[in-house]
Amino acid sequence: MMKTIAAIIGHKAFALSVIIGIGVWLLIVPAFTGGLGADPLDRLLHVSGEIAIWTLAAVLSLTPLRVLFPKSRIVNALNRHRRYIGVSSCIYALVHFSCHLLYQGDWDDLLASFSKPFIWLGASGLLILVVLAITSNNWTVRKLGGRNWKLLHRLAYLAAAILIYHQSIAGKGHWYIARWLLFALLSLELARLVKTQITKKNPRTAVTTGSRQEIKST
Amino acid sequence: MYIHKKPSWYLPDSGVTPQAAYLGRRKFLRTLGMGAAATAFTRVPGISATAGFPDTLNPSFKLSAVKLTPYDLITTYNNFYEWGLSKDEPSKLSNQGWKTDPWTIEIGGLCANPAKFAVNDLIKAVGGIEQRNYRHRCVEAWSMVVPWDGFPLAKLVTLSSPKPEAKYVQFTSFLDPKICPAQRSNDFAWPFTEGLMLDEAMNELAFLATGIYGKPLLNQNGAPIRLVVPWKYGFKGAKSIVRIDFVATQPKTLWNQYAPDEYGFLANVNPEVDHPRWSQRSERVIGGGFFSSRQPTLKFNGYEKEVAALYAGIDLRKNF
Repeated sequence: MMKTIAAIIGHKAFALSVIIGIGVWLLIVPAFTGGLGADPLDRLLHVSGEIAIWTLAAVLSLTPLRVLFPKSRIVNALNRHRRYIGVSSCIYALVHFSCHLLYQGDWDDLLASFSKPFIWLGASGLLILVVLAITSNNWTVRKLGGRNWKLLHRLAYLAAAILIYHQSIAGKGHWYIARWLLFALLSLELARLVKTQITKKNPRTAVTTGSRQEIKST
Repeated sequence: MYIHKKPSWYLPDSGVTPQAAYLGRRKFLRTLGMGAAATAFTRVPGISATAGFPDTLNPSFKLSAVKLTPYDLITTYNNFYEWGLSKDEPSKLSNQGWKTDPWTIEIGGLCANPAKFAVNDLIKAVGGIEQRNYRHRCVEAWSMVVPWDGFPLAKLVTLSSPKPEAKYVQFTSFLDPKICPAQRSNDFAWPFTEGLMLDEAMNELAFLATGIYGKPLLNQNGAPIRLVVPWKYGFKGAKSIVRIDFVATQPKTLWNQYAPDEYGFLANVNPEVDHPRWSQRSERVIGGGFFSSRQPTLKFNGYEKEVAALYAGIDLRKNF
């Protein structure tokens, strides 16, 4: 049973249809059925931004999940789609940015908008995502070498930090939305850190024996 | 920097969707078989306490050459944080069992005639209601034009006869954590509070609304009675008011407590003072559709003539 589910989840077609499906369901279908409400562009702006940041969070949660559950078939199946998920986060962020361009209406307002930290922080987060997306192909990995490539792609964490902050100031009370994302990612990373420490010190013994002391000492 | 110069009354006709198009849209949805999507706009709303007061448009507040925002949009695009953080949530969540009829409003504090009114009795006591078309400008840089039904706040102030030491009016919205899930958390300093200086409250534009387009307010618009201060940002308009108090010192207000650097106590519409995160120079007109263009924001939201004198000698940059 698990094996079949993992096989389905691990399939390229599954990943692509979920990633594209989210956009179709949340952005395109409502755009054609009047489901975007009184200010459709404002709605597209917010929803595309939300999709982008949740997708980014999804890809960042894959590494800690794999460390925490190395034997889970599902986690491993999901980990096969890191590149797709990461690139899709960038694409949704680009849609979000295009909405911002339209939203501002004219050049004066658009240029003026870049004087606000809210906007230039969002734009710098996007810039990181674009660099990472462009370098997400086998050729670049080979060209840069695995180590350098990995180092470069750690920028994803910086992008997440910047963009969660960007999200938290996007509207009155938006911290109350962004905080869930931040807490979820931080606790995953924390759990991952604890787990790596334990396995480093006690490579053979079962996790349970050393865990209590380790948690105290970290 | 190039700035469009347009007359103070300018609002483009293209910025408003004709009602026929909106009705047509529902038809379109139904023919698509999207029954659920179509009914989402026609759901039976909560009925507020202020039905049955006939009124007519006060010709002094007609706003010529301005198109009103369609009723559908005014009642589905709402900031009412008690009922959700997104614009479409209040029209759904506030109509799931929240009763705004009957409704009692209490007037107290530093005044000679403190009183408790069933909201309909209050309307009778001030001599009924009238309709006024007001521009509505949100601090988030969007705007509508709303035909409010209601009565001037000044009438209520006069009725209550504030004492000389009263300098401010404080408005308190409903508090009902049992029915309103958001109010069970401490994210915001519930209940919602707002305030005006007493002379602002006495200005002829300050208005207590009980309806829109001649119909009693729907829950999502702040039924059954709410504040409308058209020269200030929309968040000043306390919704679903249960208390009005006359006080000596500047009252605490929810948004000002939440972020004092973003939401000032005065909160006058002012294109010259930016919000920390966006410009207030222009605004998006709700109803303009996907490619809605912006229009320049007017000082005091176009009511400079009527209210500028209230702020003589006050630095509006510091006191935003």
